[in-house]
Amino acid sequence: MDLSVTGAKIYFKIPFLFGTEIRITQTTISLLVVTIILITAAYFLGRNLKKRPGRLQVITEKGVTMLYGLVEETMGKHNLKFAPYIGALLLSSFAGSLIGTTQLFRSTTADLSVTLAWALVTSVMVWYSNIKNFGFVAWLKGFTEPVVVMTPMNIVSEIAQPISLAFRHFGNVAGGGVLTSLVYAALAALSNLLFGWLPGLLGSLPFMQAGIPAFLSIYFDLFSGFVQALVFSLLTMVYVGSANPPPEEIPERPKKKAKFNASDI
Amino acid sequence: MQVVLDQFEAFVGVNFFTMIFAWINLIILYVFLKKLLFNPVKNMIDSRQKEIDDMYSDAEANRTDAEAMKTEYESKLAAADAESEQILKTAIRRAQLREEEILKDADLKAARTLERAEEQIEKEKRQAINDVKSEISSIALDIAAAVIERDVDAKDHAALIDEFIDKIGE
Repeated sequence: MDLSVTGAKIYFKIPFLFGTEIRITQTTISLLVVTIILITAAYFLGRNLKKRPGRLQVITEKGVTMLYGLVEETMGKHNLKFAPYIGALLLSSFAGSLIGTTQLFRSTTADLSVTLAWALVTSVMVWYSNIKNFGFVAWLKGFTEPVVVMTPMNIVSEIAQPISLAFRHFGNVAGGGVLTSLVYAALAALSNLLFGWLPGLLGSLPFMQAGIPAFLSIYFDLFSGFVQALVFSLLTMVYVGSANPPPEEIPERPKKKAKFNASDI
Repeated sequence: MQVVLDQFEAFVGVNFFTMIFAWINLIILYVFLKKLLFNPVKNMIDSRQKEIDDMYSDAEANRTDAEAMKTEYESKLAAADAESEQILKTAIRRAQLREEEILKDADLKAARTLERAEEQIEKEKRQAINDVKSEISSIALDIAAAVIERDVDAKDHAALIDEFIDKIGE
């Protein structure tokens, strides 16, 4: 019995510029499937909304209210504009982890490229917000605080932030997958050991694989998938939220003040 | 395009094109979920909330109006009550005054009538006495004439007769 731990299976290779190639993998397909499923679901849930909601609309509204409540609680009322992005991130992460349970597709979040892409979006949002709110100089100056000696460490922690975000999510989902396949292999070996003496087809059937992996799947795919989606979204909210303090806490910048101001007349 | 079989990505590896796919999918999901799900549902919730708030504030305004109206009507009713009482009081007082006036008037008239009647009686009495006096005196003269068989001069004896009559009247 051989067990290999690999990444996503590659389906096609399309040559691209400068000798690079676009690889269409299981992850690519899964991303597409998740997107299509979520958009279809959103289309059916979001149409024909009524003032007097039906049962499905009540559940949908409850979910949307919870999302906005979570964003407001974590980031503040002034950052509610980020709620749709957080919702999209949360849903694509959870659905991406969940799609692995179908066995037809590989979890999108079991691919480091995906989680790293999402984590980089978070970082870019943080940097953009910081520069927009406090100015480029103030943002750079923030790295030298509290003392100048801390600068290298601050830079490292800034770079480590998206990496740790990406690896946390990837590691949980991919590790769960590896553990599940290990347990599968172990259960197959146990079956072979216990029932291998049975004649013909009966001997080759892995009886022990029935049952136990279901509980593993519930933990790793459902629970861990949900928790990791939540953790990723929450950390994104915290990072972006702290880069977007309430408007009254953003210091006035002299550069902006020098400009024409209607209230000066 | 090249179809490959049994080739895998590295377990821990980053493929830039997969990252681009992830970004594209995330952007598409963001745009479509926002447009199809989050915004419509949020707008619906907000508009319903607003409707409820409006309803409540309308009801509150109506209640305040009704209360103000009630107070107004109550004060008006109280004023009307007071006014009617005032009118009644005035009417009663006027009636009493009028009554007194009428009574006084009647008293006065009655007194005057009585006085006049008494005067009349007195006058008539005096007239009657005078009439009786002259009648008696003429009768007495006749009697005396008859008695003494001669004509008594009325003029001569008038004083005598009057004296006689006066004695009788006493």
